[in-house]
Amino acid sequence: MAALLEMRGMVKVYGALRANDGIDLDVFAGEIVGLLGENGSGKSTLMKVLFGMVEADGGGIVFRGRELSGHRPGEAMAVGIAMIHQHFMLVEAMTVLENIMLGWPEAGKLLKRQVIAEKIREASRRLGLDLDPETRVADLPLGRRQRVEILKAVLRNAELLILDEPTSNLAPAEVRDLLVVLKRLRSEGKGIIFITHKMPEVIEACDKVVVLRAGKVSGKAVVSGADKAQLAEMMVGRDVTTPYVMKAPEKGAARIGMRQLAAKSIGPLDLDVRGGEILAIAGVDGNGQLELAETLAGLRRADAGTITLDARDITHATPANRTKAGLAYMPADRSMTALVKSMTIMENLMLRDIQRPPYSLRGLLTMGFARRRAEALMSQFDIRAASPLTKAGSLSGGNQQKIVIARELARQPAVLVAHQPTWGLDPGATRFVLERIIALRDAGSAVIYISSELEEVLAIGDRVAVLAGGRLAGLVTRNEVDMPQIGLWMSERAA
Amino acid sequence: MSNLAQPPAEVSQRFSLRLRKDGLLPRILLAISLSLAVAAVLILLAQKNPLDAFAAMLAGAFGSPHQIGVALNRTSPYLFAGAGLALCFRAGIINMGSDGQIAMGGIGATATILAWPGTPGAVAAIAALIAAALAGALWAGLATAIHLSRRVHEVLATLLLNFVALLLVQFLLSSALSQPGAGFLQSPLMPRSVWLPRIPAFDFHIGIILAIIVAAFVSFLLWKTSFGFGVRVAGRSRPAAAYAGFSIAAITWQLMLGAGAMAGLGGGVEILGLQHRLIEGFSNGFGFKAVTVALLGALEPALTIPAALFIGFLETGALSMQRQIGVPSSLVTVIEAATILFILAATVRRT
Repeated sequence: MAALLEMRGMVKVYGALRANDGIDLDVFAGEIVGLLGENGSGKSTLMKVLFGMVEADGGGIVFRGRELSGHRPGEAMAVGIAMIHQHFMLVEAMTVLENIMLGWPEAGKLLKRQVIAEKIREASRRLGLDLDPETRVADLPLGRRQRVEILKAVLRNAELLILDEPTSNLAPAEVRDLLVVLKRLRSEGKGIIFITHKMPEVIEACDKVVVLRAGKVSGKAVVSGADKAQLAEMMVGRDVTTPYVMKAPEKGAARIGMRQLAAKSIGPLDLDVRGGEILAIAGVDGNGQLELAETLAGLRRADAGTITLDARDITHATPANRTKAGLAYMPADRSMTALVKSMTIMENLMLRDIQRPPYSLRGLLTMGFARRRAEALMSQFDIRAASPLTKAGSLSGGNQQKIVIARELARQPAVLVAHQPTWGLDPGATRFVLERIIALRDAGSAVIYISSELEEVLAIGDRVAVLAGGRLAGLVTRNEVDMPQIGLWMSERAA
Repeated sequence: MSNLAQPPAEVSQRFSLRLRKDGLLPRILLAISLSLAVAAVLILLAQKNPLDAFAAMLAGAFGSPHQIGVALNRTSPYLFAGAGLALCFRAGIINMGSDGQIAMGGIGATATILAWPGTPGAVAAIAALIAAALAGALWAGLATAIHLSRRVHEVLATLLLNFVALLLVQFLLSSALSQPGAGFLQSPLMPRSVWLPRIPAFDFHIGIILAIIVAAFVSFLLWKTSFGFGVRVAGRSRPAAAYAGFSIAAITWQLMLGAGAMAGLGGGVEILGLQHRLIEGFSNGFGFKAVTVALLGALEPALTIPAALFIGFLETGALSMQRQIGVPSSLVTVIEAATILFILAATVRRT
């Protein structure tokens, strides 16, 4: 049987970078292909070429027996290729029905609402999508919105669906449902390209995987014959699954302490973290994680209680004074808070230190120092870019986060508050970030590590706490962790 | 995160303009040709000869040292206010109150001179300029206080205070600062000793020199100081600026007071250098010219210098054309606006 999609020797060059350097990819009808690779390995470029968002510099694409070249996204859609983006392209104020009719010739000039609504109901039943055409998109949870996108693609007769990290914004239950939907689509004979970093999903859903590294195919495997460690190693070329070393809880004084701390939607909280210890805080997103992190960082006002850092009261200190006192903070929001994407790597590396010598003397910038410092940090933290004057936004997600971690750790802080520091990173970059945080702990700092990825919390925390409804539902050392208990804590809601 | 689906551009970036660097000269030449073409059509519609009109315009702007001096005088309040606005806009603070702040500067300067007659000229002039800056800053500070404490959008707070300032000028000219029996709303003429010194032959006052110094200082502030760094970060992302340890409220106060003081100086210089008395409507439309200067300068304080000069010379030439050829003044305004628009399209892009 001929493949649904054949890509042969794809080449795409950006300046000196060969983003795609002779990649072959086949997808058959009724097959889910996992496309893996670190950030910057060329996955996105390959998919943009396939969908016609950028033009290839070499190679050929054959889709359903027809040559595709120099095409645009509109033509790709017309021949049956659909792309489900990470950020949905839906009009929130409109209903599911209206979103699906939008820009679809089959809806007719005089919109055939009833006909299309019936089609939506029928397809929704068949695929188990559970979508009502009259619901407003704004009222749907993220997992359902994604199904609207999938439904849109299916109704427009897409034969090949590209899903770009479809699970990164979903809750665990939604991920399971999505995988079920994908399997149904497979049984209807659709081809699916599934981009992800998450091994369990690959093993659960994919038939085969193609791993990219530095613009080339570095490995191919049939999933039933590969295991998790093998796949991860194929992806980064080194072992990333060895567990992290845990440390027994320290006996020393608390480096950061909270007493009856309360702010909007959190508290009261009582918590101490000692030097040489990582306290990992688990919990379902939206249970006060952001509020806690920002209150500690001084970006939100504490309504009651105190925060102490090395026995100093910092409850009402400004963010700048907290930084000076030794508090480092890695915000979850990388694109708007932790980094200024349109500024250079150098400027981002000094973002939080600019008001202090030696970055500025009596208010005047010392650019020579900043430049040397930036070069040193770039090599120390392996930030890969042409120059310190490269814009931060042009780097891959992993390299962007390395800027943040370099800036925050280079100060040798007493305390680090890290919120979702590995979100969206590939296994290699995740490993890098976690290892740096562990090294900081080993040097005697206290770390508060907040993440909704339970697996990661359990892997890195010396003690594990669960935040639910803005309060601590439970707190145990790592070797006392009892999974069902953690699960119960996570589902607890403060009264 | 794969970069297939980056979130939309930084949403809190409220104002983002940059100079287009590639092929700047050809694009400027194209913009000038296009504006000449538009102007030619309009002048033909007014049944005049476009070539005569252009010649008159050129002569009006550059024809004699005196005309150049006139244009430079026209430029200085625009530059004072425009350079301050460039900094505000950079930080995402949309200050629309230059008009009122310039008017307040005029009041401050005039009141100072009239309050202490007999003070030696140089001392009085310097005191009057300081008063002009303070009056402008006061007006901007009022808007800032309303904006920050009552959360009124800064566009509204600054814009509406313009009307108050303009009416205040009228009120003072019919009461405390009036020249009795003048028949116009104007103050008494100031003694020659407090007039700003003039450059011989060209006959322009030193306002433009002061304005260029101030604009250069603002450029230094933006690029070479940690304060300027905070301004640049704040303009791109408010959350990042707070995270970086800058206080948005402090930056807003500093920029608004600074820009207000600069606009006030613009008003003071206009009075002491050119009008030599406070006149109703002396600053009509200056504030919006200053906005144009800031935008045309791509929010780059150093580039507001050529931008302000361009507008100053364009206006001077156009006014002279109107007098010599006798085209309607509304037509001249349209030609000016079209030219600015073409130049803006050719030189500035959104980032």
